[in-house]
Amino acid sequence: MRVSIKVNGVAHERDVEPRTLLVYFLREHCGLTGTHVGCDTSSCGCCVVVLDGDTAVKSCTMFAAQADGREVSTVEGLAQGGALHPLQQAFWDNHGLQCGFCTPGMLMTSYALLKHKPNPSETEVREELAGNLCRCTGYNNIVKAVRQAAETLQAAPVQK
Amino acid sequence: MSIEATPKGSMGVAMKRKEDPRFLQGKGNYVDDLSFPGMLHMAIVRSPYPHAEIVNIDGSAALKVPGVKAVITGKDLEAAGLGWLPTFHGYDKQMVLAIGKVLFQYQEVAAVFAESRAAAADGAEAVEVEYKPLPVVADPFVAKQDEVLLRPDREAKTNHIYHWEVGDKDKTAQALGAAEKVIKQRIWFPRCHPAPLEPCGCVAQFDTMGRLTFHVTSQAPHVYRTAITIVTGIPEDKIRVISPDIGGGFGNKVPVYPGYVCAIVGALKLGRPVKWIESRTENLTSTGFARDYHMDVEIGARADGTVTALRVSTTADHGAFDAAADPTKYPAGMFGVVTGSYTFPVAHAEVDAYFTNKAPGGIAYRCSFRVTEASYAIERGMDILADELGMDPVELRRKNFVRKDQFPYASALGFTYDSGDYHRTLDVALEKIGYQALLKEQAEKRAKGELMGIGFSTFTEVVGAGPSKHFDILGIKMFDSAEIRIHPTGSGIVRAGTKSQGQGHETTWAQIVAEELGLDPQNIMVEEGDTDTAPYGLGTYASRSTPVAGAAIAMAARRIRERARKVAAHLMEVGEGDVEWKDYKFQVKGVPAKSVTMKEVAFAAYTNPGQNEPGLEATQYYDPPNMTFPHGAYVAVVDVDRETGEVKVRRFLAVDDCGTVINPLIVEGQIHGGLTEGFAIAFMQEIQYDKDGNNLNTNFTDYLVPTSLESPKWETANTVTPSPHHPIGAKGVGESPNVGSPAAFVNAVIDALSPFGVRHIDMPITRDKVWRAIRDSDPAKG
Amino acid sequence: MNLQYSGEEIIAADKAAVWKAITDPEWVGRCIPEVVDVTVRDATHFDAVAKVGVGPVRGNFKFRFELVPGASGDRMDMKISGGGFGSAVDLTAGADVSDAGGGQTKLSWSGQAVARGPVAAVGGRVLDAQAQKLISQTFANVRERLSRR
Repeated sequence: MRVSIKVNGVAHERDVEPRTLLVYFLREHCGLTGTHVGCDTSSCGCCVVVLDGDTAVKSCTMFAAQADGREVSTVEGLAQGGALHPLQQAFWDNHGLQCGFCTPGMLMTSYALLKHKPNPSETEVREELAGNLCRCTGYNNIVKAVRQAAETLQAAPVQK
Repeated sequence: MSIEATPKGSMGVAMKRKEDPRFLQGKGNYVDDLSFPGMLHMAIVRSPYPHAEIVNIDGSAALKVPGVKAVITGKDLEAAGLGWLPTFHGYDKQMVLAIGKVLFQYQEVAAVFAESRAAAADGAEAVEVEYKPLPVVADPFVAKQDEVLLRPDREAKTNHIYHWEVGDKDKTAQALGAAEKVIKQRIWFPRCHPAPLEPCGCVAQFDTMGRLTFHVTSQAPHVYRTAITIVTGIPEDKIRVISPDIGGGFGNKVPVYPGYVCAIVGALKLGRPVKWIESRTENLTSTGFARDYHMDVEIGARADGTVTALRVSTTADHGAFDAAADPTKYPAGMFGVVTGSYTFPVAHAEVDAYFTNKAPGGIAYRCSFRVTEASYAIERGMDILADELGMDPVELRRKNFVRKDQFPYASALGFTYDSGDYHRTLDVALEKIGYQALLKEQAEKRAKGELMGIGFSTFTEVVGAGPSKHFDILGIKMFDSAEIRIHPTGSGIVRAGTKSQGQGHETTWAQIVAEELGLDPQNIMVEEGDTDTAPYGLGTYASRSTPVAGAAIAMAARRIRERARKVAAHLMEVGEGDVEWKDYKFQVKGVPAKSVTMKEVAFAAYTNPGQNEPGLEATQYYDPPNMTFPHGAYVAVVDVDRETGEVKVRRFLAVDDCGTVINPLIVEGQIHGGLTEGFAIAFMQEIQYDKDGNNLNTNFTDYLVPTSLESPKWETANTVTPSPHHPIGAKGVGESPNVGSPAAFVNAVIDALSPFGVRHIDMPITRDKVWRAIRDSDPAKG
Repeated sequence: MNLQYSGEEIIAADKAAVWKAITDPEWVGRCIPEVVDVTVRDATHFDAVAKVGVGPVRGNFKFRFELVPGASGDRMDMKISGGGFGSAVDLTAGADVSDAGGGQTKLSWSGQAVARGPVAAVGGRVLDAQAQKLISQTFANVRERLSRR
């Protein structure tokens, strides 16, 4: 079947098997391998992308066909004009990543969170990230990073 | 915010990681991100039976699935001489694909190659395998009875794999007999699994000249290259193993798995690249698990608490094959460190390992070769002893610590501890956590019937394998290596035999070189994981990278400095003996104004070397003279809900001493991560098998990884006791938090339950177990 | 994981009709709940594909059936082995066939199931309900289809 999905602002139109998951559409059809697969049960959140600008979804739990005609943002679209997004910068500053495998999902979940709650409390950050597993960091630095990014974004909002 | 390292002093600087920008932008390069023209995908058919004869395998329906190219079975591999692969322990072998019978549930039975991931999965589903079930042994104590023989392929007709012991058996028995107080406790460290977020996988491809390029999730790429040669007979020069970015390892990515061999065979047979990426279920059910040690711990002591003897007798469950990736001569790894931080005059430890119908493995999950089990046993044992003597567990520990002036300390079980200051580390912990105030609070709460616990773990680790006279994997000595090239304009590249899986080597290795040579760490590139370019090394696991490769890097840098000194002498027109390395540059002795920087010397090495050998590079292989012995004092504070059994970790402080710290940001990150794994093991994680051999924890809905909601906030601090034999005094830190923390958590829970007289609960400490322990306790005490 | 079940069905048909039906592999195959396909191999063997869902594990399971009719026409045993999604299920079931009077026939059946693999990992309760459904619904369908006649 034919689907057309706008990914990071660029339209991708492809013929896919109906059972193609959005994550494999992104990885194998669009060549955007920043979105990862870490489990088979929608538990780990490595595959989180943002749908229509503000909704975090697990792209392993959605068919590409369900995203037909919609806009998907992935980690590859966060940095603009060579400058890291404040979330990326904050993860870097706070050592919020180690092996990097969960990082794209963490960033995209956090991105959607900050769209809805520009100034989340620590508890709100922890609640929102509960669908994203990390084996390396123990989350302390990730939570710190998200709150730093919130501060940065409130001081100087990024148009994205 | 972190500080940027400068050419003048890179050691101990909390430099932001150099590798992060690519990960942050989704530009990491993990195995599953690779794609090659014509690439096929492989899927594995696995056994639902834990123990069964294979009556027939019929791949004909699979071959009719659109896109399926081939199906291979154990018979095919056996015919090609590829039926078995040696395990890293070296004394056993493992079936690549089941031959004759299956020995554990989810064992590899057939491999299917197809044009797409989905077609391969469809093909695997269509392979029909007929089994005849055999009696299942899912318990090492049942295996011990040898009523069902699991491995008739082996010469010894028994399920017993090995007996290993260390220490003085008789003197320990005598001392225990004579002790004024003896405690005895069966302590089980359950089977758990490291579950890195990136599952294991590979891409195998042969070029037109028959040379194999093998991208793989490996913590030890060089060992893989050698192992592939041993298994397949492909000459080692015709193999290039590349570990690209690795999404966490924790020991899970040390062994060579059957899927890798199948992918290589498929690529050879079909003449196309083959990718295999395992599913989470495959990862949890068939790859290297951790622990599964049943330990009988006995401690003898005088009435005043002075310990006099330790005896630990262990029954180990190794699963269907002895694939515990231990050094050859040490089947129980470094379990001999079980005397911990304490001066036991005599001790004896023994381990008996058995085959069962479970997945093979045993050495993984940040364990430093069974140090986790050892540390847990002694730290739980000391708490039980303190309880029975009515002593404060802190005082009991302090009384028995190896003193600072006793180092180097020869332990009763044969290790020579390099350095340490246990009393100081504990003092720092007590002060930072506010022990006296906590005791007061606890007494007040107990008076009100509330359950609060304080738990300690003052562990000693042994890492950095290792001295090659003792330690090898498949006969290869456990050295490590570094090669450094400094370019004409003062930047450079360092290559090492290790492989980062998130530990930040691209940053720390650059910092070591920068510190030694007075260069900018931002311009020292680090490359690991490609066997065509990196010098041979044994890889990254067991906290060995900094103790071994880190030393090799520092020493290679010093070799460069010695070569550079000659060029500096030439540039400054003085004798080499008149040149000294001071303040990160070469100076003429006594004439500080006359100096040249390394950058200037590097340029001269290529443009004006004088009589000296041109260029500026060095290679160093390092065989450590001893292991390193990091230590720490951990404190957990927990509240237990007496109605529900729920445990809340209110505070956790980790005071670590890993010797010289290269990058405090990274060290802290390692500790945070390891503590979270320790927390998971203590409270959530177990790979359970039912009595029929069914694995009950096959995905992330049943095998739990802590989320941001449960994970505690970690408090950290450190003391610094450099290793005397390591070139920069560093000891390694990655595994300390996983080795040290489980006992602190459990000790805290048991302390909280002390009003009920609860003596021990095996991990994972679920609320159900706590609730039952309270319910089953002496009501008079509650 | 070992599960045991038993039950009873009263069928509004005489014993001879019941016996005729339950010794016909095609007919028995069609009594399996959510059956998708039945392939008869010989007079006592058939393969059946049925939809099975146990927790997150869902899809078509393929079963091999062997009918073992008792010589006296009072007892029918079945051996069923099959699986899907990397799981294996071995079932045995048997029914005593007796005259219940008034043109009715009684089927007293019992069965046990052993499951291995992902379906076993899902846990007792869910699996229990599913295996029970598979066995009891098969006998219930026998009753329903015969009573409808």
